[in-house]
Amino acid sequence: MTPDVLTIEGLSKRFPPSIIALDEANIAVRKGEVHCLLGANGAGKSTFLKLIAGALSPSAGKIQVDGTPVHFRAPAEAARAGISMIYQELDLVPQLTVAENLFLGHPPSRFGFLDKRSRRARAREALARVGASFTPEDRVGSLSIANQQLTAIARSLTREAKVIIMDEPSAALNETELKSVFRVIRELTAQGVAILYVSHRLGELREIGDRVTVLRGGRTIETFDVEGTPDSALVEAILGRDRGFVERRERPPVTGEVVLKVDRLTAANGLDIRDFELRRGEIAGLTGLNGSGRTSFLKALFGADAHEARMSLYGKPYKAKTPRDAIAAGLGLVPESRKTEGLILDAPIYRNATLPAMQGRFLARHGELKAKTVPVLRQLSTKYGSPEQKVIQLSGGNQQKVVLAKWIIKGARLLLLDEPSRGLDIGAKADLYRLVDELAADGAAVIVASSELEELYAACDTIWVFHEGRNIARFDPATTDQDTILKHQILGDHHHD
Amino acid sequence: MTDTVTGVAPARTSGRRVADLLIEYNFIAIFLVVVAIAAILSPNFLTSTNIANLFQQAAVVGVVAVGMTFVILTGNIDLSVGSVVALCGMLVAVLLAGGMPIVPALAITILTGALAGAVIGLITALAEVPSFIVSLAGLVSFRGITYLLTDGVPVSGLPPSFGAISSTMVPVLPGLQVSSMGIIFVVLCIAAGALLRLTVFGESVYATGGNAEAARLSGLPTTRILVLVFTVSGVMSALAGILLTSRLRIGQPTAAQGLELDAIAAVVLGGTSLFGGRGGVLGTFFAVMLLQVLRNIFNLLGLGSFYQMTVTGLIIVAAILLNRFIDIRRGRA
Repeated sequence: MTPDVLTIEGLSKRFPPSIIALDEANIAVRKGEVHCLLGANGAGKSTFLKLIAGALSPSAGKIQVDGTPVHFRAPAEAARAGISMIYQELDLVPQLTVAENLFLGHPPSRFGFLDKRSRRARAREALARVGASFTPEDRVGSLSIANQQLTAIARSLTREAKVIIMDEPSAALNETELKSVFRVIRELTAQGVAILYVSHRLGELREIGDRVTVLRGGRTIETFDVEGTPDSALVEAILGRDRGFVERRERPPVTGEVVLKVDRLTAANGLDIRDFELRRGEIAGLTGLNGSGRTSFLKALFGADAHEARMSLYGKPYKAKTPRDAIAAGLGLVPESRKTEGLILDAPIYRNATLPAMQGRFLARHGELKAKTVPVLRQLSTKYGSPEQKVIQLSGGNQQKVVLAKWIIKGARLLLLDEPSRGLDIGAKADLYRLVDELAADGAAVIVASSELEELYAACDTIWVFHEGRNIARFDPATTDQDTILKHQILGDHHHD
Repeated sequence: MTDTVTGVAPARTSGRRVADLLIEYNFIAIFLVVVAIAAILSPNFLTSTNIANLFQQAAVVGVVAVGMTFVILTGNIDLSVGSVVALCGMLVAVLLAGGMPIVPALAITILTGALAGAVIGLITALAEVPSFIVSLAGLVSFRGITYLLTDGVPVSGLPPSFGAISSTMVPVLPGLQVSSMGIIFVVLCIAAGALLRLTVFGESVYATGGNAEAARLSGLPTTRILVLVFTVSGVMSALAGILLTSRLRIGQPTAAQGLELDAIAAVVLGGTSLFGGRGGVLGTFFAVMLLQVLRNIFNLLGLGSFYQMTVTGLIIVAAILLNRFIDIRRGRA
C-alpha cells in the first residue's frame, strides 16, 4: 500500500470565546493520490486548509509530513516542508514575469546576486512539467486564468512540493481549461505528488478524485473511495441526517400583483437569469453555492454592475445604469459587506441612515434628518446612544439595522438583501427576519440572498436555486423539504415546479 | 434579544466631555499655546498692527487651503493650486493692464480657475486615475501657460482701484483694523464651512471621502461630486491669485511656487485626514494661522528663515503624530 505523505489527527481550531471552526479533524493523504475535500458552506474547509498551509495555528492536534511531526508558524514553513497551497484568488503578482513569480521569495542566487540564467532554466523545467504553452518571460497578467493556474502549480513544483492544496480551482475555469488542469494533475500524481483538491462539484470529483473526505460542521465525517460510492451517499454525508427541524414561519399566501419581471438578464461574468418574477408582499430567497451568481444578480438589478437586461418593474420597462436610477425606481440594496459597501463607518448614524433620502435637496437640515431617523431606528428596535453616534461603535446587528433604515427612510418598495444576516448572532438574525416580514406585510417586495438555506427556508415564500450564474430551479418551501433544495444546489439539476 | 448593548455609549460626565472636546479640537488648543508663547517672547506680537499683518499674510495660502480641504476630504489631492494661483494672478493683471474693467476681468479669471479645477476633476473621476498625477500634470502645464501669457515678463500698470480689493482697512474691533484681504479670507472660511456643514453637497463630500463605494450604492452622484470639489479648489485658487496680484500691484508669473505644499500641510495639520471623510475648514483656518504665527514670531525675534523652515517641519510632524496617537487611542488605527 502507498505510504501516507500527510497525516492529520485531532486537528482543532477554536476562535475565542465560543466558535469552534474545526473540531478534531482527521485526514490521511497518500503519496500520488488526488484526495478531494467536500463540504457545504461553513463546514470548516477554509479553516482546515489554512491550518494545513500554516496560515493559521491549530488549537490542538497533530500534523505529520512523511511521518515527521510538524508545527507551522507561517506559510513559508509549510512550503519548506513540502506543503504548497494554491488559493482560489491566485496569489501571483500580475506585473511580474512567470519566472519571477515562480521564484518569488526564494530566487536562485550566486554570491548574493540574482542568478537569472539559472532562474530561467529552472522555470523552463517546471513549466515543462505542467505542459505549459507559455514561456518564463511572459507576464503573468497577460495569461489566461487557466495558464495562471498552471503557473501557480509550477511554482509549487519549484518548491519541491509533496502535497499541493488546490482550493476550488474550477471556480474560474471553463470546461476546456479545466481539462488541461486535470491533465497536469494526473501527470503530477504519476510523479508521486499528492493533490488535496477542494470543490463543491461532485462531477469533478468523479473525474479526478481517488478518495474523498467529507467535512460537516467542523468535523471530518468520513473518507470514501470515489469509485463505488454513489452520489446519494456523499450528499447524505455532506448534509447529515440529524439536522434540526426548522419551523417555517406562518406566511399569508402571496396574492399581490407582479412587481418585478425579468425575462432575461445577462452579464459578462456568465450571469444568465431567465423568467424571474417577484410579487408585491413576496419574500423570495436566493440560494446557491459561492459564485453561483446571487450577488451578481442583485448588483445588476440595482444598477451597480454592467449588464444586459429585458425586464419590467410594475409593468413598465426597467433598466438601471447606475444605483441612482435603481433608487429612483424604488429599489434599495443592503449589500453583502456592510462595512465596505453599506456604511460610512466614521460618520454618525443619522447621516448614514438619511444618505439616500437627502439626495436632490440643497440644504441638509440636520435636525430634520435626525427626526426622520429616530422613529425608524425605534421601529427596527436598534440599540444606540444617540443619532450622532458613529456607526462604527454599534454592534453588527445594529449596524445592519442602520443600513436597512436607509431604505425604509427613502421609502424603497423593492428591497434587495445580500447576505443580510452575515455576522449576526441568533437574536439579531431573528430580529432581522421579523423586520423583513413586516416590510413584506406592508406591501414591499423583498429578495434575500443567503448562503444559509435554513434561514431562507424559514422566512421565504419562494426559494430560487442559483447554479453557475443561472436560476435553475424554483421551490415553494411549504411543499419541499430542505434536502431536495440542497441537492439541487450541489448537483445543479434543472427543475422548475 | 441576545444582542449585546456594547453599542450604547455610557452617560458622559462633564469632565469627560471637556476632554473629548479638547481632543476633537486639539488644533485650537495648540494654536492658543503657540500664541501665548509668542506673546511672552515678543511684546510686539499682540499689537493691532501685527495682528492685522498676520491675517493679511495668511490670506493667500489660507484661501487656497480652504479649497484644498474640499479635495482632501474626498481622499484626493490637488497639486495644481500653486500654478492656478499664478495663472489667475497673471491673467487678471493682463486683462486689467489691457484696459478691461475690473468686474468682467475678475469674472473671467474666476471662471478660468473653475475650468482648470473642473478639468482635473473630470480626468480624475472619469478615467479613474489618481488625482496626484493628474494635478501634477496640471502643476506643470498651468505654470507653462502662465509664462506663455507674457513670455515670462511681469505685468505692471494696474489701476489703483484694483489694489483696494486687498488693502482697504476695515475696522473690526475698537483699535483693530484688518485689511480687506484678511476679511475676505475669514468670510470664505465661513462660507466654505457652511457649505460643508449645512448642505447636501457637503454631506456628499464627506460620504464620498468616507466610503466611495457605500456612497455610490446609496445613490450619490460620486463623479459629479469629485468634479465639483476640484472646481471649488480651482475657484479658491483663482481668488487667491486675484488677492495676490492686488496686493503686489503687479502680475508675477513666478509667484506662488510651492504654495500647494504649504496648503496641503495646513489642511493636514488642521486635522483633515488624507484618506478622506474626516476634518473640516475650522481646522484648516487654525492651522493656517498657526503656521503664520510661527513665521511671524521668528521674524519678530530676528531669527532667519532657516530656523523657520526647520521648526515648521518639526511642528507638522508633531501634530501628525499627535493625531495618529489620538486615532489609535480611539481604536481607529
